[in-house]
Amino acid sequence: MSDSPLVEVKGLHFSRGEKSIFAGVELQIPRGKITAIMGPSGTGKTTLLKLIGGQLTPDVGRVLIDGYDVHALSRKALFTLRRRMGMLFQSGALFSDLSVFENVAFPLRVHTELPEAMVRDLTLMKLQAVGLRGARELMPAELSGGMARRVALARAIALDPDLILYDEPFVGQDPISKGVLVQLIKKLNQALGLTSIVVSHDIQETLSIADYVYVIADGQVMAHGTPDGLDVDDDPRVSQFVHGEPDGPVPFHYPAPEYFDDILNQEGLQ
Amino acid sequence: MKRSKTMELGVGLFMLAGVLGMLFLGLRVSGLTFNMPGDTFRLEANFANIGSLKPRARVTMSGVTVGRVTAIELDPEWYDARVILELDAELEGRLARDTTAAILTAGLLGEQYIGLTVGGDPDMLADGDTIRDTQSALVLEELIQQFVSNMVSD
Amino acid sequence: MIQRVLSLGRRGCDVLEALGRSTLFLAQSAFGVPSREGWYLWLRQMHFVGVLSLAIVMVSGLFIGMVLALQGYTILVDFGAEQALGQMVALSLLRELSPVVAALLFAGRAGSALTAEIGLMKATEQLTSMEMIGVDPLRRIVAPRLWAGFVALPLLTIGFSVVGIYGGYLVGVEWLGVFEGSYWGNMQSSVAFIGDVGNGMIKSMVFALVVTWIAVFQGYDLIPTSEGISRATTRTVVYSSLAVLGLDFVLTAVMFGGFS
Repeated sequence: MSDSPLVEVKGLHFSRGEKSIFAGVELQIPRGKITAIMGPSGTGKTTLLKLIGGQLTPDVGRVLIDGYDVHALSRKALFTLRRRMGMLFQSGALFSDLSVFENVAFPLRVHTELPEAMVRDLTLMKLQAVGLRGARELMPAELSGGMARRVALARAIALDPDLILYDEPFVGQDPISKGVLVQLIKKLNQALGLTSIVVSHDIQETLSIADYVYVIADGQVMAHGTPDGLDVDDDPRVSQFVHGEPDGPVPFHYPAPEYFDDILNQEGLQ
Repeated sequence: MKRSKTMELGVGLFMLAGVLGMLFLGLRVSGLTFNMPGDTFRLEANFANIGSLKPRARVTMSGVTVGRVTAIELDPEWYDARVILELDAELEGRLARDTTAAILTAGLLGEQYIGLTVGGDPDMLADGDTIRDTQSALVLEELIQQFVSNMVSD
Repeated sequence: MIQRVLSLGRRGCDVLEALGRSTLFLAQSAFGVPSREGWYLWLRQMHFVGVLSLAIVMVSGLFIGMVLALQGYTILVDFGAEQALGQMVALSLLRELSPVVAALLFAGRAGSALTAEIGLMKATEQLTSMEMIGVDPLRRIVAPRLWAGFVALPLLTIGFSVVGIYGGYLVGVEWLGVFEGSYWGNMQSSVAFIGDVGNGMIKSMVFALVVTWIAVFQGYDLIPTSEGISRATTRTVVYSSLAVLGLDFVLTAVMFGGFS
């Protein structure tokens, strides 16, 4: 396997309506490593994953996955490329009309011609990997949030993809579930030789497993490096984010007229 | 994918019921019959006035339905109505040449139909022949006019 | 003034754009190559939109047939024409009431459920995740529902007619004493299979396509919030009812208006 990065994002510009979300983002995701993309809420991290997955098309710039330009592919070729990607959604996004077992078996059934016995074995292996082999008969509505996310993880790795995109895997989880997910992401990455992209704003958990970190704010990459070498204090915005300060370059207050003027200005009441 | 027998059965019964319903609408409601096309023969009849006779109206003999009207058109030569009848094949060659056709009405407001009355001619009508002796539909206005003029002349 | 014209123009463009988008959507989902599993997915939706709507459609049909017979009898008996009751019940059901009322009930029972179901799938990212797995949700989610609706509504309409005519028979013959022979006989001599039953079926197929199309498109196109879902569900019922009634006039004018 070559040393070239699996995913390359070049000069990415994207805007939604009038609002510019990305202005020239450059990323390089190395193979077989866990790369974290961090940043405050509302900086378009999920949008970035959707751009990499080809669900959104950038205004300017390219996304290359293993040398293929995602947005220049035909619909069919894009769907073929997506078989090599797994994505873990914030909500889990399990198919609510299928059981846990069927959810994990779904990618195998639609993309392979394997006999039923082999589909069963593979599905149980993936469920065993996330520790939910015993929950196979449950419906998604009967699962807790953490379990749903683990099932979704099992589904994402069902086809043994080269690349997994994690969208906020730790959000809204209790400490135990968080610990479980951190362990799983790390173990799966090592065991299966995956390339992982983790989008998150949970600093502790993310830094503990990431091999490389990008910090995004204001539509640009603010800092990048290994977790230890990341120069967090260079940029005030990055520093505020990493240290979790309530006020700073990212203001606590939504833009508003002067507080004093606003209070005293009672013309509107007359 | 898990398959549910009751669901498959339900959908199967649903579709079967649809087909049976269609059969009911065809046979019982619109009165379709499975007559072979070769089971009939054609006669024509010219009427001075057909009233409100419509295609698919019944053709009867002594009150028994023996056929249907298939088409009604204007005869451009005589400016009267040419009605094409389709009769059961078993009557072919058994209706006398002077058979009469009359447009009758079922009840006061009912639909109009054609009644055939057999004559005594030794020659028989064959496929495609024309019935000469016809009796037009009764038109209410004409009846009243006749009645009134009779009253005046009395 | 110019502002008004401008906003009118903008709204017109929005409507045109939505129409274009939904037509593209219809074409993409209806002509997706059916997979091996597609048949079974269709079957499941047939159960959902067809079998489960059966009860409400049948009961409504029975009552409408009974009311038609009762009302028709009181009018016809004044002219001494109560023997024409069968004809009246059958023609009004087959030509108008069955296709229209069944379509309205279908829009309320199945259409709104389709919109809400697809909308919820969108809100919980199920559609997006399906796309990321490499399965086209238009083919997997939308197409079976579209085809199930297209087949189910005409079947329901047939059921509605049959039950309605039977309801008319119950009231007219069993209760009010119309001769059984003239109920069926008058019906048979006045109902044309192609002209009445057939045209009613064509109407029903058009309504089926339009109602399911509106329902799945509203579900697929909605804003994925709880407010968006409730609005889209309402829109499904309102738009499909209006479309059914409007199209009914057009189709009736073409079929029975004598313009041919």
